[in-house]
Amino acid sequence: MKHCIQCLAALLVLGAGLAHAQPIGDIEAGKAKSQSCAGCHGAEGASDNPAFPMLAGQHADYLLHALQSYKNGNRQNAIMNGQAAALSEQDMRDLAAYYAAQDAAIQTLERRSANSD
Amino acid sequence: MNCGRLIGGAALALALLMPGTGAAQGDIEAGRAKAYTCLGCHAVEGYRNAYPSYRVPKLGGQHQSYIVSSLKAYKSGARQHTTMQALASTLSEQDIQDIAAYFASRGPEGQ
Repeated sequence: MKHCIQCLAALLVLGAGLAHAQPIGDIEAGKAKSQSCAGCHGAEGASDNPAFPMLAGQHADYLLHALQSYKNGNRQNAIMNGQAAALSEQDMRDLAAYYAAQDAAIQTLERRSANSD
Repeated sequence: MNCGRLIGGAALALALLMPGTGAAQGDIEAGRAKAYTCLGCHAVEGYRNAYPSYRVPKLGGQHQSYIVSSLKAYKSGARQHTTMQALASTLSEQDIQDIAAYFASRGPEGQ
């Protein structure tokens, strides 16, 4: 009986993982690591300085790609190259997950808006 | 104390601090028409970039000046992305300002 319950629990965990796209990193860990980002990108990624992009609600995989590009030098920015150099792959994943999970300051554009309203 | 100079300085400081009040200001309506090509990727929810595979960024409500600097970086080749470099190379300074103004106006709270 105990074995059965363990099996069921494992299946439920697997099911939950499949039902929701796997988070790219740990949101809570990302929050803890986001202190130095907040100086420019705002407390929860909604920057009020137009020089710095809004991160709140951005796709996590895009944010991860951006951080990796800054770290490997494919993308050049005096501030971000320095910041990303100090981050591990796990740090970048956690930060991407954290900012993607915040109340969205940005959204996907609407195709219809090109012609209507 | 020279009052005129003080007021002039304050006005200059204000002008520098206020986004969108500079010489190159974007026209949202012009940007709406010019952004048609952009929407083929950036208006498709969850659309993926081919390689490396990641979802194309959400741009509705992004800061205008950040979009301007990104497009200029693609145009100059400072920022690498085959499709974006090709598209940005066709844009004039005014096109970039207009498209950025339009994107910035399409945020979650600007509908």
